[in-house]
Amino acid sequence: MFSKKMVMIVGVIVLIAVNIILISVFNRRYISYYGPGRIAISIVAPFQKASSTSIRFVRDIWRHYFFLVNAAKENEELRKDLNRAFEKSIQFKEFKLSNARLRNLLNFQKNITDRVLAAEVIGKDPSPWFKTVLIDKGKQDGVEKGMAVVIPEGIAGQTTEVSAHYSKVLLIIDHNSAVDALVQRDRARGIIKGGSAGQCLFKYVLRKHDVMVDDIVVSSGLDGVFPKGLSVGYVSGVIKPKSGIFQEVTVTPYVDFEKLEEVLVVLTPKKHEFEQEK
Amino acid sequence: MTYCYHVCICLFLIILQTTVMPYIPLFHGFYDLLTPFFIYLCIFRPLRESMPVILFFGFVMEAISGGTFGLYLTTYMWLFIGVRWIITFLHVGNNPLLPFVVVAAVLMENFIFVGSNVIFEPGLRFTSEMSITIGVQVFWAIFTGPMFLMFFNYSFGKWDKRVKEISTRKVGR
Repeated sequence: MFSKKMVMIVGVIVLIAVNIILISVFNRRYISYYGPGRIAISIVAPFQKASSTSIRFVRDIWRHYFFLVNAAKENEELRKDLNRAFEKSIQFKEFKLSNARLRNLLNFQKNITDRVLAAEVIGKDPSPWFKTVLIDKGKQDGVEKGMAVVIPEGIAGQTTEVSAHYSKVLLIIDHNSAVDALVQRDRARGIIKGGSAGQCLFKYVLRKHDVMVDDIVVSSGLDGVFPKGLSVGYVSGVIKPKSGIFQEVTVTPYVDFEKLEEVLVVLTPKKHEFEQEK
Repeated sequence: MTYCYHVCICLFLIILQTTVMPYIPLFHGFYDLLTPFFIYLCIFRPLRESMPVILFFGFVMEAISGGTFGLYLTTYMWLFIGVRWIITFLHVGNNPLLPFVVVAAVLMENFIFVGSNVIFEPGLRFTSEMSITIGVQVFWAIFTGPMFLMFFNYSFGKWDKRVKEISTRKVGR
């Protein structure tokens, strides 16, 4: 009744349709494929850790012993920077004292620095289209899904998959990432989403706000993942369309994701304290 | 022992891709290294050998990547179907055709990944950076893809020979 060629074409079309449906289902509902996914990470991650440790070891030897000419020049520059920094540090001490007083007044419970866990980046995403990294801390170290991952420069991402000793971190430059943020100067609120070429898009910022290039963007704390006030990046482009209620804002993150090696995982305060109490 | 070779090679390629190559700026735009290995499996190895390896490591890639679950498995499945179909009428074991097979596979992988991003992320546009990324991958694939395939073929031949020697010695005793 049907030729072999016809059956084959119909088969291929059906296969493509089923494939697209399955991917769209998985895309809408994030499947945390607990058992097998964790096992796969546990198989690959130890090898990644071993090789990244040895690469860093070799690189450190090179930097410390064979690169001394540059180090001498750098030393001079750093001395100058140190003098400048010393002047600033006196100013900052004043700010710190007033900050401490204000924090007490506002009944802030604890400083963020005593609730973080240091972790090492052991592997990057195999695809250039997705921006995730694997870190060497997992459930047994107190890490849980949805915890903020930061470095001193700013927000890096959040944990999306946690196995016993390793976790996957979704970086803020990934298309699937979203961070509730605000412009530090005029408090304009929006959502930081991953863009292209390592940039972020600051979406849903109302046109009425006067956002300017070089404005600093910080986390608002309203997403329940990132603590309030952590730096995200600075505004590198603003386009105000003639129509519409939002403006297009591009943000360059402070974090250099190409050089991300060590990160800090912000442990959920209440649970962390609860564990200690137990 | 054959599976042992395949698993070792796949693990080596994944580690190279996720841990070693990010440290070398030259290789920042490199393509998925498992692609040439899976092409090698499809062309030179039997179905019962290639299929489980492709499925297992497709799943491993899903676990370590941040993409939607199913993208790697989809890519590898269509790669498998495509290469198996091509070899029914084209003798791709010939060296001159190998670069085109690898480039086609790399393009297909990028098409699926970018396509899924564009479909499921409203407002996402195809930018010039995306075309540069794909262009760089194609460039690498043309020159290095056939070399990888020849290396896999050569190293498996050596491995197989060595394993057969050892097993013959054991039987002789």
